[in-house]
Amino acid sequence: MAMNRKPRLAFLIAAHVLLIVVVAVVLYPVMLVCKKAFEPGRDFALSASPIPTDVTLDHFHDLFDKRGGHGELLFLRHAFNSIIVALATTVFGVAISCTAAYALSRFRFPGRKAGLTTFLVVQMFPATLLLLPLYVILNKIGLLNSITGLVLVYSTTAIPFCVWTLKGYFDSLPRELEEAARIDGASTWMIFRRIMLPLARPGLAVTALFSFMTAWNEFIMADTFMTDESKYTLPVLINSSVGAFSADYGLFAAGAVITSVPVMIAFYVLQKYLVGGLTAGAVKG
Amino acid sequence: MSTADLLRRQLRDFAAAAVIAVLFASCAFVAGRNSDLAEHQLGLASRSVDQLIAGGEALPTVTGALVAPATPSVAHPYLRHRQLRTPSGWRDLQPSEKWMYDAVTRFDREGAFTELVPDGTGRAIAVRAAEETTAIAITSPTTPAPYPFLVMIGVLGLGLALTAAGSLVGGRAANLGALAGIAALAVPTALWHAWIATTAIALVAAGVTLAQHARLTDRLSDGLVRHRTALGFLMPAMIAMFVLVAAPFLIGIVLGFYDHSHNTWTFVGLANFGEILSGGGKQLDDPLNFWFILGVTVLWTLANVILHVTIGVALALVLSRTWLRGKGIFRMLLILPWAIPNYITALMWHGMFQGEYGAMNSILHHAGLSGVSWFSSWATAFSANVITNTWLGFPFMMVVALGALESIPKELYEAASVDGASAWQRFRHITLPHLRPALGPAVALGSIWTFNMFNVIYLVSGGAPGGSTNILVTDAFHWAFERGERYGMAAAEATIIFLILLLWTVFGNRVVKSKDADA
Repeated sequence: MAMNRKPRLAFLIAAHVLLIVVVAVVLYPVMLVCKKAFEPGRDFALSASPIPTDVTLDHFHDLFDKRGGHGELLFLRHAFNSIIVALATTVFGVAISCTAAYALSRFRFPGRKAGLTTFLVVQMFPATLLLLPLYVILNKIGLLNSITGLVLVYSTTAIPFCVWTLKGYFDSLPRELEEAARIDGASTWMIFRRIMLPLARPGLAVTALFSFMTAWNEFIMADTFMTDESKYTLPVLINSSVGAFSADYGLFAAGAVITSVPVMIAFYVLQKYLVGGLTAGAVKG
Repeated sequence: MSTADLLRRQLRDFAAAAVIAVLFASCAFVAGRNSDLAEHQLGLASRSVDQLIAGGEALPTVTGALVAPATPSVAHPYLRHRQLRTPSGWRDLQPSEKWMYDAVTRFDREGAFTELVPDGTGRAIAVRAAEETTAIAITSPTTPAPYPFLVMIGVLGLGLALTAAGSLVGGRAANLGALAGIAALAVPTALWHAWIATTAIALVAAGVTLAQHARLTDRLSDGLVRHRTALGFLMPAMIAMFVLVAAPFLIGIVLGFYDHSHNTWTFVGLANFGEILSGGGKQLDDPLNFWFILGVTVLWTLANVILHVTIGVALALVLSRTWLRGKGIFRMLLILPWAIPNYITALMWHGMFQGEYGAMNSILHHAGLSGVSWFSSWATAFSANVITNTWLGFPFMMVVALGALESIPKELYEAASVDGASAWQRFRHITLPHLRPALGPAVALGSIWTFNMFNVIYLVSGGAPGGSTNILVTDAFHWAFERGERYGMAAAEATIIFLILLLWTVFGNRVVKSKDADA
């Protein structure tokens, strides 16, 4: 099975058929959700066919028109909450992390290796392990059911993630500019602020987008910490639309399509960075 | 060392130690002040009730009364009246005295109680049975004592003076002066009977003296000065990590030693860990037994990682063929599950597995098979979880494997072909050795992710039937939020999960490293 030699026809066909079958398995559930989003009715997949028999925009209409206790439009409210939480987490995470990432990339000091390992381990271990203590602490200081509290909770994963990815990006930048600037008498802070940070813009953008997506997609913390319907984020709304007592899969599908399409586009644009970052971190650590 | 240098060094060490000591003392003061105040208020309420029962009056700052048993209202029999005894006889309760009515009602339900009113005013209430009536007393609101700034400034000045005096004398007196100066900060805590803080400060004093002796403080301070730029750059992230990760983590460990019920925490030592590790007295095949859940978790992790790696590597091998048509499109479509937020994937599959009308059963019907009630038996519910997570997780392994395969130089295969190596030999001796370094970390990472794949378990099977498909993280969540807020048990289980993951990481690293050494 040398890579360049043309194999037997049967093998060639088998390979394509295998891929097509797997692609079908991958696409089928997604198509079911898309079908449900445009098909009337609350139940999920009465027929196994992924082609809708009847097309309607009712579910999207219902979703936008869902109102809370004070008559506010819930979907817009939750979308707004999601955007605010994800944006705040991103800005906070990147701002706090960028100097540390630069220091870990450029300076040599005792404890550097330990620091790197700590950030890696914290990033690998799931935030759900901290769910209970965070819940107890937020409850104690009155930040339960508040956007600020949720941003702080998301930062526990965002900061180590940002430190690691940004450190990797700084590592890839050449050192000559810094050395030249240092000879010209620039301070470390000036070098960082005026040279490295502008140079690192692409890395900052990618890191920021990934932390935004992580916060945007987070479900269980938001579901646990936000008790007031007006404070929900989109994942909580989507989950509650298929709750135990009144499952409306039409509403779920419409919400799922609207919520995931933006992050899916972002994912496809960024995926080449993701794989590199994840394995580079793991290999080097 | 000149006197000026010595003085500077001693004052520097004193300042560092004083910051820590003041922190300890302040914590001790706040804790001691609050418990003293509570004790005092509870005592006042309790003694007032005693006096009321004995036929006397409540203490001066305490409001107390005897309340008669409830009697049905004449006009509205479903309403109940209570009467209050005053020196001039019985009178009806005023609307402003509703708290008395509520307290006595609670007494009828739960029996006597003495506690702080949970409204932050510092009032204490005591309710006890008196002859034919109920005695009730509540203290006046109170504010805690102010922070003793003067005392703290005084002892700090005393410590500073002792340290400086010691340094000016020089020699051994310098160390003694610093020791005495720091120890002086323990005087107020000793006066407050805060023995833990007193011991801690004494230990700090002894530690600083010993460190000075070993020249550790000099080296530490030199290091801090030399690396001050790095320290400055690291500081924001370090503080954030300490506050947001380290502190909750440590608090989580500590909470594991407490039991939480009815909003009160009781120290129970290792009881939670004991209850978890002994299986809570349940049979080994009981879904709530820790060892059963651990077994399910390990099985779950193994099944998923094996499926992810097998499917991922197989697809990557096919995708890496140069003769393949539409490779870019296939790759793009195959990573679709990775792009979808995983809670949506989980909810979507949950819907597809739904009993009567789910897509999975429709497909089974089309194939001429009978439908399955997916979430009513362990095997099918577990399979539903595994199917969902396999669908969700194989793209990651596929992409990692594809990256590794594409980095293999083509010449290697050509050379091997020329040498007459069979397809299997080329796979075994070229492909596999190149896959391993990339797949090792990916498997380590993937196994940790799967071990804690909360969303899939929680949203697909939800642990059904009867919690038997729970994994450790979802079980811990159930302890906290679905079994009467047993926070202590949840915290203890999270600590155990952490230890397992730590062992796995250390052990996994060993395996990867020894494999590398072989290669």
